[in-house]
Amino acid sequence: MTAPDERAFLADVNKPAFQLGQADGRWRILNVSWPFALISVTAKDGRQYVLRFDCSGYPQAPPTAGPWDSKLNARLAFDRWPRSRGGRLGAVFRPNWKDGTALYLPCDRLSILGHDNWRSEMPSKIWRPAEGIVQYLELVHELLHCRDYTPPLVTEA
Amino acid sequence: MRTIDVFYQGEGIHGIEHLEVGPDHTFTNVKALIVEKHGLQIDALLFIEDSEEPIDESLVVDSHAEQAGIKVHVHRCKHIEVAVSFAGETVHHRFSPGATIARVKRWAAEKKFGMTDEDAGEHVLQIAGTNDRPAPGTHLGALAACPACRIGFDLVPDQRVNGAENVIEDLA
Repeated sequence: MTAPDERAFLADVNKPAFQLGQADGRWRILNVSWPFALISVTAKDGRQYVLRFDCSGYPQAPPTAGPWDSKLNARLAFDRWPRSRGGRLGAVFRPNWKDGTALYLPCDRLSILGHDNWRSEMPSKIWRPAEGIVQYLELVHELLHCRDYTPPLVTEA
Repeated sequence: MRTIDVFYQGEGIHGIEHLEVGPDHTFTNVKALIVEKHGLQIDALLFIEDSEEPIDESLVVDSHAEQAGIKVHVHRCKHIEVAVSFAGETVHHRFSPGATIARVKRWAAEKKFGMTDEDAGEHVLQIAGTNDRPAPGTHLGALAACPACRIGFDLVPDQRVNGAENVIEDLA
């Protein structure tokens, strides 16, 4: 029997907002092995970055996610992360934050801890359970299309 | 049998909705399904996303289908009056209810305020008087109801997540 958080997550990925993102090629769900879900997000150069979401307690609790190597089933090597030119993307994709397991986003469960100031400074980026996983994916997709986005150092195995 | 995904938004409809129809269904059929499902008025207009005029409802859906299906909007208004403010200046334009936030932002940032494509990408539309920043794919008509049929935005910089420079390392 599936747990309530898993049922809620599966219901959300079957909703039109998530399905439209898939149909548009913005993101794609690869695997769900509860409480983890692998979802790839497409960057402006067509590269697809896989994020491993830990969705325990979804949707009341925000998910936490970091770049993932689905072939090695391990955290993505840092030289394969999207790079920054010193702007917004680099403030979120930070290898030195949580050992690379969580994006530095207000809607991330691990990153919001200790950052109550974000609630007033960046209210639009605070987790909204009613919007669910699509909110997190929209923010990541936007970052991977902003001018700060730069391809990773290493692109092939 | 092949089906076509119809993703739609509309006046009084929360978020994005979806239905499937056959390729030979007409837009009249599509509108009737949406109207029945949401209890809307039958005289509502149907728009293809980012098209200025209502669709000719006698056309079959397949004539406008793309790889992802079709995206439509249902609304009683033919236009939404939009005001966008930036740096003390406000610009106005009438858009179709099916116009996306992304299209309105490009119009305001690039055409009216003279930003480059890259600079426009660093700004977002925020509904005036709120902290709400609708997603780029949101249709105007989902935010503005008849009979007012108007909405105001502020064009604001997308914030860099604060504190990144100040956190030395994860000490947790």
